[in-house]
Amino acid sequence: MSAILLIAIPLLAAFLSIMLKKFAPYLLLGVGVFNVVLLFLIPEGFVILGGFNQPLGINLLLDTYSKIALMLVNAVVVVIAFVNIKEYSKFSSILLIAIAGLNGLILTNDLFNLYVFLEISAIAAYLISTSNKKPVKTFHYIIIGAVGSSLFLFGVVILYAMFGTLNMVDLIQKIQLTNNYSQLILPFLLMFIGLGVEVKLLPFNSWVKGVLGESNTLSGPMIASAYAAAFGFVLGRLITNLFLFEGSLLTVVTVILAVGIVMGDLMAFASNKAREILLYSSVAQAAIVAMLFVNGIVIWAVYLIVANALSKLVMFLVVNKAVKDVGSDEVNKLQGLFSKNVIVGLAFTLVTLSVMGLPLLVGFTLKLRYLTELASLNQIWLIAVILVASLIEGIYFVKLLLKLWYEGQEKVEVKYNVTFKVVFVIIAIALLTFGTYSTPLNNLDDSIDTITEVVNNG
Amino acid sequence: MIQYAAIILFVFGFYGLLTNKNVIKMIISLNIMEIGLNIFIISIGFVYDGIAPIISSTVDAGLIYVDPLPQALVLTAIVIGVGTTALALAVAKSIYSKHHTFDLDEVEEAL
Repeated sequence: MSAILLIAIPLLAAFLSIMLKKFAPYLLLGVGVFNVVLLFLIPEGFVILGGFNQPLGINLLLDTYSKIALMLVNAVVVVIAFVNIKEYSKFSSILLIAIAGLNGLILTNDLFNLYVFLEISAIAAYLISTSNKKPVKTFHYIIIGAVGSSLFLFGVVILYAMFGTLNMVDLIQKIQLTNNYSQLILPFLLMFIGLGVEVKLLPFNSWVKGVLGESNTLSGPMIASAYAAAFGFVLGRLITNLFLFEGSLLTVVTVILAVGIVMGDLMAFASNKAREILLYSSVAQAAIVAMLFVNGIVIWAVYLIVANALSKLVMFLVVNKAVKDVGSDEVNKLQGLFSKNVIVGLAFTLVTLSVMGLPLLVGFTLKLRYLTELASLNQIWLIAVILVASLIEGIYFVKLLLKLWYEGQEKVEVKYNVTFKVVFVIIAIALLTFGTYSTPLNNLDDSIDTITEVVNNG
Repeated sequence: MIQYAAIILFVFGFYGLLTNKNVIKMIISLNIMEIGLNIFIISIGFVYDGIAPIISSTVDAGLIYVDPLPQALVLTAIVIGVGTTALALAVAKSIYSKHHTFDLDEVEEAL
């Protein structure tokens, strides 16, 4: 059993699903479950492909960090596929390609290979966004995504020209030997911007409003949850291992991210549309994750990605199903949504309160831990930015919850089937459990290493 | 020198993307940008007086080869570029079917 199966099997199944259209949704579910099970069976370490040892050839790295990422992404895709199995069965082949792309993105240890998987998963994302039936918005996404990937490739090629290698381990070792940091600013910045487009970092995220603002129960959770998590992990991998953000570059990146956090929450605050509130909240959360990685707070950034992915999965599924049934995403039109959907309402409320960071929920534990870590790094103004953003976030989420719970003049009729309810309840209980019992989170603290540590530890 | 030309081409493509509102022209601009990038990648492997990196039976000590890796990379980049272009054209067709125009300004006005 090798980690390469996590990429090869979905790709093979994607080809088969085109020929066996009727069975495509079941193939998708089967592959998703197979991947999750496989992750428990395969050992950690480097996977050498084609017999070419490092730094020649392409190799994959499966460590604790990538295992958490893969587990999350594959599980989230399985859940999304399961709840959409009837309505969006035509998208099964695309979801299989997306699984292959995202798994490859997380696993690969080669920068050009990373670009290839970035493009594979991006093309799958463009196709998923066509389910919104808004071709102009999809076109904008393609153009911005293609420019982002090109800039990423530009950065990779410049690094290759400088160091003569694309292997990440080899490159990290060669970069450590060089003292000429100023030459590295350009490639790092290009790669950061390129990934920033997909991670939804402000100001490179102008596609988000068009795609997530018009999303459905497939495209919303896929892009805001599965894709956001995978790209978050990749950005984290590059920031903690490869990018050297120092001096003025560190200041520029920190300011961009701090502005992203506040602007994301302000835009969510200003919006009256449910989907827009969620998407701008995602933008702010993505900036917080990147900020934690930049400051070297890896473990809590990882947990924040996991919590965000699960929370946004529930939130987008609840809202997008309601928007589909009601025909509008104005919060006023959705007023009283939970009065007849108490279980869904309770799950949504717990998840939202977790994102806000209220005690007893996992969001609180995470916020407390990463703010403590930032305080120990003397990043007082960053703590102030996050607290101000949390306050704004608290106001708009409470406003949203009040509207959704209390009935207005018009009756809102939305029916969630059992599959949806089971998913919501399980995730809400998980967020509550890990909010009150955080020992498992603390135990993983030491097992997430950088690539250099993985290599040194054999 | 060729690297400056590649960067100029890349910038032209980017400028085209920013200034054009016609979907097809935007796709062409994207392609120009990608061609600029591909030429840049190829230029990385260029070695003056270098020959094709093919091992022959004759003694080749002292011969200088161009770097073959950027050539392999650029092949993949071209394929990906073609894929993205095909998808963008399919979406462009879908835009035309829905709005009967390729001009994004006209689409926005109609909305």
